[in-house]
Amino acid sequence: MNGIAVRSNHRKLIVMAVLTVLCAVGYLVVEVNFSNPNLVRYAMKLRAPKLLAMLITAFAIGGASLVFQSIINNTIVTPCLLGMNSLYTLIHTAVVFFIGSGSALAVNANLAFAVDVVLMGIVATLLYSYLFRKTNHNVLYVLLVGTVLTSFFGSIQTTLTRVMDPNEYDTLLTSLVAGFNNINNEIIVFSVILLGAIVFFLRKELALLDVLTLGKAQAINLGVDYDRCIRRLLLGVTLAIAVATALVGPISFLGLIIANLSRQLLRTYRHSQLVLGSVLFGTIVLLGGQLIVEHLYTYTVPVSVFITVGGGLYFLYLLLSRKKV
Amino acid sequence: MLQIKNLSKQYDGKTVVHDVSFHIPKGKVISMIGPNGAGKSTVMGILSRLIARDSGLVEFAGKDISHWKSKELSKRLAILTQSNNIQMKLTVRELVTFGRFPYSGGRTTPEDQEIIDRAIAYMELEDFQDRFIDELSGGQRQRAMIAMVIAQDTEYVLLDEPTNNLDIYHATNMMKIVRRLCDELGKTVILVLHEINYAAFYSDYICAFKDGRIAKFGTVEEVMTKETLSEIYNVDFEIMTIQNRPLSIYY
Repeated sequence: MNGIAVRSNHRKLIVMAVLTVLCAVGYLVVEVNFSNPNLVRYAMKLRAPKLLAMLITAFAIGGASLVFQSIINNTIVTPCLLGMNSLYTLIHTAVVFFIGSGSALAVNANLAFAVDVVLMGIVATLLYSYLFRKTNHNVLYVLLVGTVLTSFFGSIQTTLTRVMDPNEYDTLLTSLVAGFNNINNEIIVFSVILLGAIVFFLRKELALLDVLTLGKAQAINLGVDYDRCIRRLLLGVTLAIAVATALVGPISFLGLIIANLSRQLLRTYRHSQLVLGSVLFGTIVLLGGQLIVEHLYTYTVPVSVFITVGGGLYFLYLLLSRKKV
Repeated sequence: MLQIKNLSKQYDGKTVVHDVSFHIPKGKVISMIGPNGAGKSTVMGILSRLIARDSGLVEFAGKDISHWKSKELSKRLAILTQSNNIQMKLTVRELVTFGRFPYSGGRTTPEDQEIIDRAIAYMELEDFQDRFIDELSGGQRQRAMIAMVIAQDTEYVLLDEPTNNLDIYHATNMMKIVRRLCDELGKTVILVLHEINYAAFYSDYICAFKDGRIAKFGTVEEVMTKETLSEIYNVDFEIMTIQNRPLSIYY
């Protein structure tokens, strides 16, 4: 990349960072009555955890989607399209189903989350790395199988909830249907630690992303331990998706939108910039969307509706505008 | 220094490479030819660490390639496969810069930049160096890939069907480049080819495969005979000598 392009990308990222900060501040202060300190405190108590959760979600989904796309060398796929969040929902339900909502596991949100995350990591890594190997990284096959898996996991999950004791189901529901208006506050700290750990343990692999996107053959040619690297990154992606799903529930298209917007805007192969762009876009979309939902539509329409509608249209646009898949 | 011993590979119970052994002469151009499914591309894949073998050794500098550190090997052995669909927005110069990755990781030194400049100049890509790869023609893209291999600065270069999808003009240019890699830069080039005459005209040695075994390995003159070629391809051949090179006519 020549100097001019690098500098203009830096400028774009700075503008986005400023926008992000504006959105975050805006989210905290819009329509807060500053004359009464009690009201301010009350508003902050409500809004600060939400803001934090959205930042974490944007980071997890933005980073995971972009990394995932680069791993499998395709920009129209996201982890969510492969059923990763339905897998998470299924695991969460299955744990409550088999252990019972009264057990220590289900009562302690952090412990329950830890169990979910471990299970998710194991199952998803086995499943998806098997899929990729078996289909020889043929993305269309993987996408097809992923779509089938999504409804497969969904069906099992529904069956489990039907057979479940109604009281158990009631307890499960509160943690299952997370959304931006019903954020799982208990696990915020745990999420931050987990994401931090993922980034720390994968720092070497993340630095190799630029090379990985040249394809398997070139990556091996340039001395990358390809299979190990992909396995580890895939694990990181599934864990990040688990975090986001546990916090705010499934938002299928967010990753697709923000990862592709970042690629379109920055037009580079450098993942340090792309991931940052994707995370910043994620924050802007989530915070901006939530601002509109809370203050313009006064909660009548959830932000996930906007994201799904907008994301669906954008997905179609991406599919149709590509010359070859 | 590069030696293959008793290499075997099966796919679903079908043996595609059967007990293949040969020694690769240093500083020469070696072409692997043979009909479809003869196992040449599989041998190439095993040599380039892209395909796992079932048994046998690939010895490089006295050590099997699986015992080499991937990074160290990538400083001595470069691979170029035929499938290079790069999805990224990448300029020619950035692509060539990746050739220095085994040495400097993501951060290039001024010395690396010099090597990159020379590689780009060698492939006459100066005018294209800031163009995106996906905006180039097939021939230009292939040259950019070669420039990257040159920047990688290895003793050995493995090319899997480098003339695939290229017209006669670009394919011939490609073969001339292969020759220059060997003659001017002193590299050992091992390539898989479908066109027998390219192999005959531009290489020093030919390794001919049939049914997963080596049918004949030797100098161009030794392999390019009517009898050998007819036996390998099951087609009638005539051999003519043009510019002191045996070229084949098949019908």
